[in-house]
Amino acid sequence: MRRSPFASLLWYLAPVLFALSIFGLWAVVTELGLVKKIFLPPPVDVFVNLWKGMIEGNLLQLTGATLLRMFYGWVLASAAGIFIGTLIGLSETARAWLTPTLELLRPLPASTLLPIGIALFGLNANMLLAVIAFGAIWPVLLATVDGFRFIEPRLKEVAAILGISRFSFAFKFGLPSAAPDILSGMRLSLTACLIITVIGEIVTAQDGLGTAIILAARSYRSVDLFAGVVLLGAVGFLNNALLSALRRALLPWQKT
Amino acid sequence: MTTSNMPAISFDRVSLSIANRKIIDDVSFEVSKGEFVCVVGPSGCGKTTLLRMVIGLAQPNDGEVRRFGQPVTGPVRDVAVVFQDYGRALLPWRTAAGNVALALEAAGTPKAERADTIASLLEKVGLRGHGDKYPGQLSGGMQQRVQIARCLAQQPGILLMDEPFGALDAMTRQTLQDEIAEIVAGTGTTVMFVTHDIDEAIYLGDRVVQLDANPGRVAEISDVSLARPRDQISSREAPEFLRLRHVLFAHIERSAHP
Repeated sequence: MRRSPFASLLWYLAPVLFALSIFGLWAVVTELGLVKKIFLPPPVDVFVNLWKGMIEGNLLQLTGATLLRMFYGWVLASAAGIFIGTLIGLSETARAWLTPTLELLRPLPASTLLPIGIALFGLNANMLLAVIAFGAIWPVLLATVDGFRFIEPRLKEVAAILGISRFSFAFKFGLPSAAPDILSGMRLSLTACLIITVIGEIVTAQDGLGTAIILAARSYRSVDLFAGVVLLGAVGFLNNALLSALRRALLPWQKT
Repeated sequence: MTTSNMPAISFDRVSLSIANRKIIDDVSFEVSKGEFVCVVGPSGCGKTTLLRMVIGLAQPNDGEVRRFGQPVTGPVRDVAVVFQDYGRALLPWRTAAGNVALALEAAGTPKAERADTIASLLEKVGLRGHGDKYPGQLSGGMQQRVQIARCLAQQPGILLMDEPFGALDAMTRQTLQDEIAEIVAGTGTTVMFVTHDIDEAIYLGDRVVQLDANPGRVAEISDVSLARPRDQISSREAPEFLRLRHVLFAHIERSAHP
């Protein structure tokens, strides 16, 4: 489809305009006093406060702590998920025996594991990391197993004819074939990591954005609360952008 | 080795039934070393199954399939296979060169030697300058060339081809027929070439094994005494070509309207 220069400019600007119009609507609603400022502060206040919090306060530090925790949990979940998923994926027997149990564990909300984690390991940062990783491992693990299950049968014959070892097969056939699935799983996993990290911080009172948000909410500092929420939204947005870039870099053979 | 004067491939009274349905019935024939044998027959005659038995991906219920005198027990690197569905037989995440490299990696070729071997193989199949393209960026004919190059990288004693040009357009098919004939002529490789195209079978083969369907059994084995190298125009107009064509088509007519 050919578009005129004006139409194509509009096409690129439209998403930005839409996002801005949400903030506009938000500004109008607060300006007209439709909602009390204590519940919904004006967007300008929120962004000014966000800026001040980062420059003067410790918001940047708290965000850093949350991001780091999320990132470590994600790396741990991804590495463990791909490794265990590969072991299970390579063996038809393991797949048949273990998949039902894994499917049973998958939908378990990770936040419910927090009390168990606390009971077993106590209230500390490592426990939280373990729970984050455990909660976020499932999308990666199951995507890896699935990726191995759907390897083109013809390619398995090619591997057999070439006498490729099981180890080589995992690296040269299995993982590349499963890579699109794995990356989709890692994307879901990153979102899960962010959620569990924030909830975990709240439950275990570790310093971070989650704690900052809940403290702001409890003390009716709605400007701080919204600043935290906006920040979390931005983190989620950047995560997605990061994953898209990773996908393009790792799967050059896939046309997007 | 005592296998030097053995036939490269032998089918010895081979039968196969699946779920009480006879697929292959008492098939016997041999392919000598260095010979180019085409197996031709209608769909459902079990020609691909015969080929899979030579690979070791299918086992007969009765009789025996042997390679160089030894019963087939499973796939080996000495037996290369060009599949019809090149799109599935290539690794989409590896470039043309990477796909050829796979065979060298599997054979344990030292890394230093691989690049030269790959370059000369790609050159041989007419893919010079395309080594860094992914299969998805290549035409069907070019993808099939990549697969052929990967098979050649195995330096196989036996080259099996399963309707390799069936999915290609007529022009590409003819070009590849001539290329494969030329490539194989220089190596002394034994070829078993499965096709449903009688003209292709006569054009390429030293011998043509014609199969009947339901169940698959050998109908006729014909020697093709056409001079090599063959030519798409003159060979196909030669009296010997037309005679064989007549014989093979007449058999199909007879079996279709008994």
